[in-house]
Amino acid sequence: MSIDTTSTRSLVLKDRAPGRARISTRVPRRKKPWTFERCAPYLMVLPVLLILAVFRIYPLVLGINFSFTGDKELNGQFVGLENYVTLLGDARFQASARNVLVVLLFVPIQVFVAGILATFVFLKIPGHRFYRSVYFLPVVLSPIIIGAIFNIILAANGPLNSALGAINIPGVDWLGLPSTALPTVLVVHIWATFGMAFTIFLAGFATLDAELLDAAKIDGANMRQQIVHVIIPGLSQTIQFVFVTTTIGMLTGLFALLYTMTAGGPGAASYLPEFLIWKLNGEARPALASAASVFLLLIVLVIGLIQIRVLRRATKEA
Amino acid sequence: MKRRIAITAVVGITALALTGCGGASPSGSSGGSGSSDKLVIWNWGDADDAAAAYTEEVTAAFNEVHPDVEVEIVNQPFDQYYTLLGSAVEAGTGPDIALFNGGTQLKSRADSLVPVTEELADLEDTLAGWPAFQAGGETYSAPTFLQGFPIYFNKALFEQAGLDADNPPKTWDELSAACTAIVDKTDASCFALGNKEGLGIEFFLSGFGSGIFTPDEYDAWIDGDRDWTSEHAKQALQLWADSSADGWYNEGANSTAMFNDSFDLFSAGSSAMVIGLMSGTAHWKQFDEFLGDDLGFMMPVTINDGTTLALPAEGGIGYAVLNEDKKDLGVDWIKATVDHDALANYSLAGGQITSDTTIELDTDIESANDIVSELPGSKPLLHTALTAEELDLLHRLGQQLLGGEVTVDDAAAQLAASEG
Repeated sequence: MSIDTTSTRSLVLKDRAPGRARISTRVPRRKKPWTFERCAPYLMVLPVLLILAVFRIYPLVLGINFSFTGDKELNGQFVGLENYVTLLGDARFQASARNVLVVLLFVPIQVFVAGILATFVFLKIPGHRFYRSVYFLPVVLSPIIIGAIFNIILAANGPLNSALGAINIPGVDWLGLPSTALPTVLVVHIWATFGMAFTIFLAGFATLDAELLDAAKIDGANMRQQIVHVIIPGLSQTIQFVFVTTTIGMLTGLFALLYTMTAGGPGAASYLPEFLIWKLNGEARPALASAASVFLLLIVLVIGLIQIRVLRRATKEA
Repeated sequence: MKRRIAITAVVGITALALTGCGGASPSGSSGGSGSSDKLVIWNWGDADDAAAAYTEEVTAAFNEVHPDVEVEIVNQPFDQYYTLLGSAVEAGTGPDIALFNGGTQLKSRADSLVPVTEELADLEDTLAGWPAFQAGGETYSAPTFLQGFPIYFNKALFEQAGLDADNPPKTWDELSAACTAIVDKTDASCFALGNKEGLGIEFFLSGFGSGIFTPDEYDAWIDGDRDWTSEHAKQALQLWADSSADGWYNEGANSTAMFNDSFDLFSAGSSAMVIGLMSGTAHWKQFDEFLGDDLGFMMPVTINDGTTLALPAEGGIGYAVLNEDKKDLGVDWIKATVDHDALANYSLAGGQITSDTTIELDTDIESANDIVSELPGSKPLLHTALTAEELDLLHRLGQQLLGGEVTVDDAAAQLAASEG
């Protein structure tokens, strides 16, 4: 017995028409035919999917693939987890893994600095318009230029140490000591980039309930009380967002400053995964560099997943 | 949720399916230019007019042999040169020919290079400095210039410190006494040192090596037979640490770049001595521009009995062939780079100590002539015999020794372990 497909299709389309009951119980469920209407949405997203596959997914998979192959005479040969084992025993890798923890310690500082300054500007302290421009200014400077400037300022015989000497405080070789090199670079990074977090905070303030703040003021709350009891709770989503983006920015955006200010040293005191990847590649060990890249990817992925959760929650509440 | 797991699984399976298929670089020859009438050459650019003139002369000499071949020279920044070159070679888009520093930089990449041993055999007697371009019994390039680590000193500062500028120190004790006098009686440091990239210890090791190691130990080291835990190897590390502790160097050496900050310190008279270069940047001609008649050259000092002082010098830079298909053209380019006239002109105009032993350096700059007179007894640099990994470790340990974060014994043990 042949099936009248034309009548079946018209019945299905009729049932899907707006305002109609969705399912016709009398017609058995069957495989839907690939009509042009049904294919059109997929065809429209196909270019984007292809671009993503070619320029995002493929290089990523390729990079992971490279990390399981050898370098030099073993080029192209499958070596399993050998690169990862080599990395785990590498002093520079160990140092960069330790330094990731140091970087994470500095994230709250950047969030705090950006947040507190944005709060002052939001509360319209005298000169707030001027400060708003000044705080954002370093963001537009190239990290290479910033590195060069601070190399001069922080030199052992530079102006900072001279200023300290003038008040009888002994100078420090800020970039030449293992205990100060990375923290110094991180402080410079915070100086250079907090403007972006500052701007996000200002955008967050735009969504703050002004009436609540006015009510707090009328009730006699001082500035500290306004910040602690009104502004911080009201900006909790923004704070979380800034926290995550700052972390990712620190993990993946410090290369230029490290390159210009410390070159990873002294020893391996200021190595970070990104710098290590570059060094390994320069040593003609791209497969090992790929393994280090996967390590960095995992760190950023974890942070990224947190970011997705934060964003999802923020969207839901909106 | 199920869909997400399915997507993850598909990506994972794809990754696993690809794993082990192919490597980071395509095997075989480098990409280079597609056509046989074009030669793509990478170098790190011409430092000045003299270097540009040399490149022009070399290109002209090459085009005399191959008038129809177009030479495309690609200048890359030196500080990223090997990273960029490594990436290009791995991606199969490397040049046909590339400029290399002799020693570690060339030897560690010998796998990617095309041997030209027989093709360059006729140049063997004319040029000096071959070992820096040889690995595993094969020759990969011809040395254009010689490179080495001569010790320069500022005669005016020596005199200010009450030292005899015409008789620089000849032993470690005399050098120590000179440094003490310089630090006490002048505002300058004894040595200019930039150790931000960790290069300082390689200059120290190669600069003073012939006064520390016996000739047999020295030759064994160059041949790859190194014992970092030996008495003299540990002594070299100890002297490096001690000289820093004794205040020989400028403040903040670990945060000062050697190129060009530390050399600028010497040129500006802020340091009495520096271990510089004899070709390229920071050489006799460049220092002479600033110091003039005050520029002095001294040999390494005797530290141990039974040593023979030698100027540390070897082949400095040279072009090597990456594309097997262009081997013949590459060999002719390399031969053009050691063209007698081109080298002779550049040696004088650009301050290069040339590898062509038949060229006489026609200059009245005393330090340059002193360096040339020491070339016959010269020995290869100790640090360029190290592998890239070992050299990087030495750089880091050099910084840590300077800061007192690692002991000499620890450093020696780590270096010995890196030898495998």
